[in-house]
Amino acid sequence: MNQLHTLHILNKTPDHPRFSECLGTLGPDDAVALTENGVLGLVASKALGLVQTYALESDLSARGLSDDNLEAATIDYSELVNLTLQAERVISW
Amino acid sequence: MTRATPERNNEGFLEDAWAWDPDVATEIAAEDGLELDRNHWEIINFLRDFYKEHEISPPSNRLFVKAVKDAMGEEKGNSIYLMQLFPGTPAKTACRIAGLPRPTNCL
Amino acid sequence: MGMLIIIDQPPYGTWAGREALDMAFALAAFDQPTSLLFTGAGVNWLRKAQDTADIEQKSLEKNLAAAPIFGIEAILADRTACQRYNLNSEAMIDGVQLTNASADLLGQYSQTAFAG
Repeated sequence: MNQLHTLHILNKTPDHPRFSECLGTLGPDDAVALTENGVLGLVASKALGLVQTYALESDLSARGLSDDNLEAATIDYSELVNLTLQAERVISW
Repeated sequence: MTRATPERNNEGFLEDAWAWDPDVATEIAAEDGLELDRNHWEIINFLRDFYKEHEISPPSNRLFVKAVKDAMGEEKGNSIYLMQLFPGTPAKTACRIAGLPRPTNCL
Repeated sequence: MGMLIIIDQPPYGTWAGREALDMAFALAAFDQPTSLLFTGAGVNWLRKAQDTADIEQKSLEKNLAAAPIFGIEAILADRTACQRYNLNSEAMIDGVQLTNASADLLGQYSQTAFAG
């Protein structure tokens, strides 16, 4: 696996302008971590599959999405912390 | 051994609705000078079930009456009946005794 | 005629929607005919099986289920927004009517207010 360049932590819904702004800046070695309302991107957006995508399990469950077959690796808070440590840069959208 | 009373806020409502048991209800009711009978328990049990189902207290007196009426009909779902059982502001008094959070829109 | 409260904000992460629900309940308490319309990201309120234990908030799914008891007349959802969020009838809570959020729909109410 390539070194993780930028981790994008995205907590906005797909209807928020920052959501598409985030997607527009993704590079090939980046990853997206969806938190809070960002996890709704998994049911609404097709563009997310291009880079490695993670989603917080607790936020998926709250929104009734934990059993869906989603294109993201589910993580908990400690795994999110690990990702931020692995990444060269972190952007919180 | 005496049981510790669950933690309550400055208006006497339980901090944690799940710390409630029937003895707590009897104790809180006694502070209001109420001795709980069958009719009180019917409403208390209704409120406990309502909270399990909806995770909110009926927000006001009017909605408390509506909810009781919806479940038990006109005879019990009216403000005079509920006021006689739970004097003061019935929604507040009943929720306090039933261990539910304070109704949000009751002054 | 009646009142239409529109929730276009997602559940959780913001208080705007919950405040709008409180307002709808308060209107219903005074027997004002009130309906709720979910549009945009708001339709995610209507997804079944919300489990909020780990985010330590009350379940909006369960709160919303009290709406008919309190006298809310209808729970409406914008069809296009449901498609956008991949919310089909199987994944949706009971008692929701699909509609098109349009000027025609809003024209049926004497007052309309948005959450937030």
